[in-house]
Amino acid sequence: MRRFNSQTLILIGATLFVLYLAGVPLLMLLYGSIRSAPIGEPGATFTIQNYVKAYFDKEFYFLFLNSIYYGVGTCIVTFLIGTFLAWVSERTNTPFKKLFVVMALIPFIIPGILSTISWILLLSPKIGLINLVIKELLGLESAPFNIYSMWGMIWAESIHLYPLVFLLMSAAFRNMDTSLEEAALTAGSSTFTTFRKVTLPLMRPAMFSVLLVIFIRGIEAFEVPALVGVPAKISVFTTKIFLAIHQFPSDFGLAGAYAVTLLLISTTGVLIYGRITRREERYATVTGKGYRPRVIDLGGWKYVTCAISFLIFLLAVILPVFVLLWSSFIPYYGVPSRELMGKMTWANFHYILNYPLALTAFKNSFYLSVGSATLVMLLTSVIAWITVKTKLPGRALLDNMTFIPIAMPGIVLGVSLIWVYLTLPIPIYGTIWVLLLAYITKFMPYGIRAASASMIQINKELEEASLTAGGTWFQTFRKVILPLLMPGFTAGWIYISIIALRELSTSILLYSYNSTVLSIMAFDLWEGGQYTYVCALGVLMVLLLLVMAFTARRLGAKIGIAE
Amino acid sequence: MAEKRDMVQIDSLEKYFGEDKERVHVLKGVSLNIPEGSLYTFLGPSGCGKTTTLRCVAGLERPDGGKINIGSQTVFASGERVYVPTNKRPIGMVFQSYAIWPHMTVAENVAYPLTIQRRPKVEIKRRVSDVLKIVGLDGLEDRPAPKLSGGQQQRVAFARALVNEPKVMLLDEPLSNLDAKLRVQMRSEIKALQRRTSITTIFVTHDQAEALAISDQIAVMHGGKLIEIGSPHQLYSRPKRRFTATFLGLTNLIAGKVLEVDGDSRPGKMQTKKGILSFIPAPGLKKDQAAVISIRPENIPVHKEKPHSLDNVVEGTVKEAIFMGDAYHCKIAVGDDVLAVHTHPFHSISPGEKVYLHLDPKSCNGLPADDTEGIDESMLGD
Repeated sequence: MRRFNSQTLILIGATLFVLYLAGVPLLMLLYGSIRSAPIGEPGATFTIQNYVKAYFDKEFYFLFLNSIYYGVGTCIVTFLIGTFLAWVSERTNTPFKKLFVVMALIPFIIPGILSTISWILLLSPKIGLINLVIKELLGLESAPFNIYSMWGMIWAESIHLYPLVFLLMSAAFRNMDTSLEEAALTAGSSTFTTFRKVTLPLMRPAMFSVLLVIFIRGIEAFEVPALVGVPAKISVFTTKIFLAIHQFPSDFGLAGAYAVTLLLISTTGVLIYGRITRREERYATVTGKGYRPRVIDLGGWKYVTCAISFLIFLLAVILPVFVLLWSSFIPYYGVPSRELMGKMTWANFHYILNYPLALTAFKNSFYLSVGSATLVMLLTSVIAWITVKTKLPGRALLDNMTFIPIAMPGIVLGVSLIWVYLTLPIPIYGTIWVLLLAYITKFMPYGIRAASASMIQINKELEEASLTAGGTWFQTFRKVILPLLMPGFTAGWIYISIIALRELSTSILLYSYNSTVLSIMAFDLWEGGQYTYVCALGVLMVLLLLVMAFTARRLGAKIGIAE
Repeated sequence: MAEKRDMVQIDSLEKYFGEDKERVHVLKGVSLNIPEGSLYTFLGPSGCGKTTTLRCVAGLERPDGGKINIGSQTVFASGERVYVPTNKRPIGMVFQSYAIWPHMTVAENVAYPLTIQRRPKVEIKRRVSDVLKIVGLDGLEDRPAPKLSGGQQQRVAFARALVNEPKVMLLDEPLSNLDAKLRVQMRSEIKALQRRTSITTIFVTHDQAEALAISDQIAVMHGGKLIEIGSPHQLYSRPKRRFTATFLGLTNLIAGKVLEVDGDSRPGKMQTKKGILSFIPAPGLKKDQAAVISIRPENIPVHKEKPHSLDNVVEGTVKEAIFMGDAYHCKIAVGDDVLAVHTHPFHSISPGEKVYLHLDPKSCNGLPADDTEGIDESMLGD
């Protein structure tokens, strides 16, 4: 007789949980978008009315064009900045290039809502620091920049997203076999021709996949469209869905129809991305050998590239961080002056720490961040074990299921989960638990990527040795596999806890008073016009993020093996 | 050697890999019994099923049919649907890669089988230090595992397999990752260790020299089947199967047809292209059966003049004679065939010479010609 043991139970449990997390919201979203009335109301029927209403509204086409415009614009700007910095740091002899690597990653730790706020404080026509300073210096009548425009939005989004391009393009530059270029040079082609005929074509798949990732992230973005786009009356899909639910009465059906449309666009993107990266692997220019990339001597131009890099550093890191810090210490918002310097105060921090909701928000955010990161990594470690180490039928499907949420924009996930927990008899709607489930669903794809990559590196004999030594599957998993997985586990954990702490687009549809999180609190304070308080809160958030990342790194190094 | 009871019994083991069309039959009814306290080797070329058999004993593979007993316990029986999971079997295993956990120290690695049973700390400490002494690693308890040399890692793997006093030790090609010199040294250490602890040990290898040097008994496997079982001496000097003769060491095969045979103790006669030759028949060899005579190169005395008083003498021409220090390795053409012959270095021999080879009937093993289908002829003599 085969009996159920801990292994079978854990494996079946983890699999069913993934199916539930990834599959149910998707089904409920599709179902909800074809119902005539909100769930729970009697007399609802099947209808295509929501789609008719969505697609035959002339605003729909503006919406569609805006989203595309916004996505493409973000692609162009992030690509220029990110690729330039990647090229400078990987392939040139520009001075200070090590410093640029660090600085290129700093914007990563600043939550999207804070970076958006900092750019409003810098580029708003009325209160923007840059505008005020330039007006003063040049004696201009009107502000030279306006954040409340399409290109203003694209700029704010790009500064937030370019580190991703930097990371992906750096990897592409680093992994390229430079002997392919050298072959072209020895065949007599000039440096420029080589770049055009060899380097570029070799980089093309990598470049295309990077652009696609950014495009998807651009049309999924919520913070900039909500904080900048809504006042500027520039709507995109994500804000339209948000407004459909936040209007009174909420139009869940319409939100559903928009959400399905957005989901289709992002899924198409993810599928194309999947195809490209798979083909890229097949024609890999990467052979796993440690190539030493050929460093190009720029001669005098290296000072130019250095200056441009510093300019990017100034714009992407120094100005936003400065404006946040500055605003958090002054009693009312204004341009730095001797007068205002004299009035610097801790009052904003004092206010935040005594704000009734603040403690709840800090606690909720902390629990959600640590809880979702830990649970996601544990869950995906088990799933990765199944998909990498076993030959169970259906494991490829399981892998794909775990990956599905990557194609779900945050706001779409929020809409889906509203449907799920208003319908299913699970009484967690409006509690912190629905946020926890949402976060686990949303971050599962990042977890599985980190866990699988590490799992592949673990020799099968290491776990067989534990079994032959008398260890049960559970003991083996806890004492051998998890510790060996620790480097990947920690990396994934840090990443997820950071993005969980700043999550806004899903939370904003699912929170209630008692389950407020930090990013929601920042959003509310901002909407209430309390700019200096928001900045103080933001500074505290960033500090919390730094402490968490640092602690996790230390702990992970202690438990696991040092890399 | 006195009869001992069998510690491991394997009965008609069947195993398939893959699914549907890609299904491969890797174990085709393997049966063997391993006596208590012996060092028993599974020997064969890669893909012969030796490692799969070992992994079935360990429970790391689940057979598709058959039965396995360890001691008095049935750990697998397809008919009775018995399957004892790996961690419940009384075994210790040393892996090809050693599988030393890099996140633990030497002591933690070795103590693992005891810690998961929640034994008292004092007992664990004592037993770990005892077993480390046995493998010669005392004093290295707190060394992190990644800081060990290949040979030390292997000793840790042995200590970890031994510490729980298993009924059976399973060694999966434990020497293949060591350099040649260390391999020979560890070979004798394994043998000494096994003698000292007298734990029944199964040793898997594809290296015939290793198998001959270390084993009490060898099971020769090929193509998922058991070919022959015997002591190293029996298998080398009196193989019963053609595959055994060619896989273990170097041999010459002379094809022919059995003319007379009378049991396996008296010489038989075989018609070959080199005339009628006498041989010692393998059991079951019948009259008129297609057969081969296997004779080792070191068992062929070379005469410069035709010896008259001897049976089984053939005439040949030296094609090649390479001086190896301890012997001449010669290729001698006899009719259409070329025989490998090793001669004593005192008697110089040179290409072109005409010689007479004495194929001593006592050294001629008559074996069935077609007992192992699909054997690559290139494996003969190398």
